[in-house]
Amino acid sequence: MRYLSQRLLQFSIVFFIVTFGVMVLMRLGLNAPGDPARTMLGGTVSQEMIDQISKQYHLNSNLIVQYWYWLKGIVWSQDFGYSVQQNISVATYMRPKILVTFFLGIYALTWGLIIAVPIAVYQAYKRDSNFDKAGNFFSFFFISVPALVFSPFIIYVFVMKLGWFPRIGEKIYPWDNFGEHFRNFFLPVVVLSLPTAAVFVRLLRADMIATLQSDFITLARAKGVSPQRTLWSHALRNSLFSVLTSVGVQIGSLVGGALVVEQYFNMKGMGFLLISTILSKDLFVVQSLSAILVASVVFANLGIDLLYTVIDPRIRHARALV
Amino acid sequence: MSTEDNSAFLEVVNIKTHFETPRGVVRAVDDVSFSLTRGRSLGIVGESGSGKTILVRSIMGLLPKRGTLREGAVMYRGENLINKTPAEMRGTWGREMAMIFQDPMTSLNPLMKVGKQIAEPLMSHLGMEKATAWATAEKLLHDVHIAEAQRRLSQYPHELSGGMRQRVMIAIALACGPSILFADEPTTALDVTVQAQILELINEQRRQRNMSLLLVTHDLGVVAGNTDEIAVMYGGKLVEKAPTKTLFAEMKMPYTHALLESIPKLNHAAHTRLATISGRPPDLVHPPKGCRFAPRCHFARDRCHSEEPPLTAGKSPDHVYACFYPVGSAEYSERKVEISRS
Ligand SMILES: Nc1ncnc2c1ncn2[C@@H]1O[C@H](COP(=O)(O)OP(=O)(O)OP(=O)(O)O)[C@@H](O)[C@H]1O
Ligand SMILES: [Mg+2]
Repeated sequence: MRYLSQRLLQFSIVFFIVTFGVMVLMRLGLNAPGDPARTMLGGTVSQEMIDQISKQYHLNSNLIVQYWYWLKGIVWSQDFGYSVQQNISVATYMRPKILVTFFLGIYALTWGLIIAVPIAVYQAYKRDSNFDKAGNFFSFFFISVPALVFSPFIIYVFVMKLGWFPRIGEKIYPWDNFGEHFRNFFLPVVVLSLPTAAVFVRLLRADMIATLQSDFITLARAKGVSPQRTLWSHALRNSLFSVLTSVGVQIGSLVGGALVVEQYFNMKGMGFLLISTILSKDLFVVQSLSAILVASVVFANLGIDLLYTVIDPRIRHARALV
Repeated sequence: MSTEDNSAFLEVVNIKTHFETPRGVVRAVDDVSFSLTRGRSLGIVGESGSGKTILVRSIMGLLPKRGTLREGAVMYRGENLINKTPAEMRGTWGREMAMIFQDPMTSLNPLMKVGKQIAEPLMSHLGMEKATAWATAEKLLHDVHIAEAQRRLSQYPHELSGGMRQRVMIAIALACGPSILFADEPTTALDVTVQAQILELINEQRRQRNMSLLLVTHDLGVVAGNTDEIAVMYGGKLVEKAPTKTLFAEMKMPYTHALLESIPKLNHAAHTRLATISGRPPDLVHPPKGCRFAPRCHFARDRCHSEEPPLTAGKSPDHVYACFYPVGSAEYSERKVEISRS
């Protein structure tokens, strides 16, 4: 219990620092009364309009008060504010974009793991074989070459030359048309998941090699346990910790990667939204997006932390004590 | 069992295990031969690094693949195991030959329940159902005198004491009723008080199950009351071997003698690894030319440094040793007098 409250406290602090920080940054130079509202509304608007918006969202109060009202809106009534520019609520505006990035991230992470685990396990098992060498080469390659570099290449080959995949980034949900959804997401997910998988392969291979040398693996062999069981049931589970930790780290960089990939593949996701709203100074949208980003990264890491306790009884018992 | 030709139960013939390393070839086990009959026990004694663990693993075929060269013959029930692949050895591992490891802290899988670790070989070798295997595991825990066996089964290794973990290791080893038990320093990592209990347990189970036992240790005191025969290893070689009584009564190698002197006495606080033999163990990449112990031996003469003493029988044919000037020889006594004068 103390463990959980500790983590929640950590989460609140990080959340506050980031969201309040974004608020402060976005308002730099907007010191005069009415400035924030004028910026948000953009173009030429009447003073009345500015006054009304300023009053409605307490934009002329000090930042702490503004922050309080904003947070209260989210927590009490799931109200993320209003995008004056788009003339819709921020929640409605964000939802489809968030879903696009959410799918991108989940698919990339899942595929990264699905690709990486068997490769790394087999590489470690057949260390120094040609398979291992090829695995090392490709993982090194995909770690060194960022999505930035091979996205255009992939688009050129598969979209422009072969025409296998569309280059429109229309968000199509799996529940609407799964085939189209798949076709739309395939290339961006490939681009995002390969470097992710490469990192997982490196970490897991190294851990597996170390684990395979431990006494309890020799004991498993000495018991006559099959090599497959020794690998998958004894060694893999004991080698998952670095990969798990890096999933937490990767979630942050996946969001960054998604930002780039969304631009290339013309997908209207969070990255796209973040960039366009930062440029147009749609204050509430930027603030809410960053809140959601922080919350999802932090919660994902919380989930990973809980996974440690699922995998390792020693951690489970140590935590039960505090 | 009674129809079996006892003399050929386990025969290790000229086994050599070398490791290729960047520094050169490490001759960890160099030309070792011995045999073991059913139900008998052999102690293997030697300093740290003398190749005891590697010898045991060479016999079982449980060595790392990379850069390992193994030759010689391991005859088990008339069959040579040396050229068998791991896949072919699987039926032997755990079923015919079982092993207890040196360090109970690192030898059990930390993420797997004790019950499952014991049940695993039962299911894979004896084809037991899960429930039967767990019930058998519980019985095995009783056999190794673990109280509250039922509860222990669903615990993880970190919840058990060192002595209890070693008992679990023994239970795992006994699970499929092996005919040979290899115990690699089973008590080195344990408290003195627990050591005796574990040795007693191993011996009790050996008698009950008519197993052969190969007990590895660096402490002559451990094998003294626990094995029928003792083999002494130095620098990867077998240098003296005799029935336990004979060895203690008339040990021939000055090295064996030095090992005896290094047995921890009761008034010593530390109970492991007393390095009372002066000098360092030999470099196994470039071993000394003659007798490997010569550079550290107070009784070595010129011949010892240039010529390797062969393993020869003494008074009785079952006592063999590799020494030109053994304890009790004229040269030995002469040197002894010189030493005591200076
Ligand atoms: N994989 C390996 N590669 C190279 N050298 C090795 C390898 N494994 C063991 N050795 C060397 O072989 C020698 C014998 O090692 P071994 O583990 O058999 O000693 P030991 O008698 O069991 O000692 P201890 O009492 O410390 O357990 C040592 O010098 C060790 O450094
Ligand atoms: Mg050893």
